[in-house]
Amino acid sequence: MAEASTVTADRPKHLHPHFVSSEQQFDAAKMGMWLFLVTEILLFSGLFVAYTVFRIWYPEVFSHSAELLDWRLGGLNTIVLLASSLTVAMGVHYAQTNERKKLVRALILTICFAAVFMIVKYFEYTGKFAHGVFPGVNFDPHGTAGGHDYAAYNIPFAAQFFSIYFVMTGVHGLHVLIGIGLFSWIVIRANKGHFSSEYYTPVEITGLYWHLVDIIWIFLFPLLYLI
Amino acid sequence: MAHAEHHITPKKTLIQVFVALITLTAITVFAAQMDLGPLNVPIALSIAIVKASLVVVIFMALKHDNRMNAVVFLVGAVFVVVFLVLTLFDTAYRGDLPNTVEGTIMEEQAEQDALRARDPGPTPVPPSQ
Repeated sequence: MAEASTVTADRPKHLHPHFVSSEQQFDAAKMGMWLFLVTEILLFSGLFVAYTVFRIWYPEVFSHSAELLDWRLGGLNTIVLLASSLTVAMGVHYAQTNERKKLVRALILTICFAAVFMIVKYFEYTGKFAHGVFPGVNFDPHGTAGGHDYAAYNIPFAAQFFSIYFVMTGVHGLHVLIGIGLFSWIVIRANKGHFSSEYYTPVEITGLYWHLVDIIWIFLFPLLYLI
Repeated sequence: MAHAEHHITPKKTLIQVFVALITLTAITVFAAQMDLGPLNVPIALSIAIVKASLVVVIFMALKHDNRMNAVVFLVGAVFVVVFLVLTLFDTAYRGDLPNTVEGTIMEEQAEQDALRARDPGPTPVPPSQ
């Protein structure tokens, strides 16, 4: 204990009193984040299991209904999210190398990519709603668009496919919105010079969260749009 | 220098992983355009798993991280598989009763009762409701 009290004199500002060292604090925060990410994975796995069960029951309905989803928009969003993951990884790199301006720029780029993702999602959703493709009991496809006669997609269990689509992409989109909020906060702090190679825990663990959101989309894109 | 030992992933590696991810996305879209029949789903899922692994190992830097975090992640992944497989043991093997048996359960039971009445066998079975 005497040894610990001598250390307190030169404790860095970011170090909370209940941690021995910055290293211990960093490791604890990071493991906490990984545990949280596991709960996130299990949250989404419930949706993936629902998808799998219904797909195995009605495979032809699922592949037929998926034709209504535009793989080009889904592919664009995949590229946008992958790029945002790159900029986040770059951001962590710049935090570790004390390049503040580049860190801020990388995080702003991330927010921009995330915004593009949500804008594309907005057009996808409104395009579906305009033709009566709603989740749940209001499912009533009608009209024509993009060479598709929507009424032809009003087959049994197509509503289940679109409900699963809306819930999975909706919960994922909510995570993207939360990510935009988190990164806005991190950008403000980075701009104030709160982070350095000595202390960049918030950048690191928000980055982990963002990569997980990317991974979820990596699975959603082929499952919903392609196969 | 508490953070001196943290692994710093070089920019070059990050960009290479990004290029690999984009290439794999192009491959999965291309593979989906041509109908490979029963291979469609396994191919798309394999590519997605490779992409996710790249993100986890390099972008999330699990490769150079505390091993405990890898254990946490892998235990989570194992439980996703348990969740999926045990659910499918139920749902994938459910018979569609109305399609396999014609007529109602009452009719079926009456038929069985009639068969038992005709041929009780060596040890008579107590008649069911």
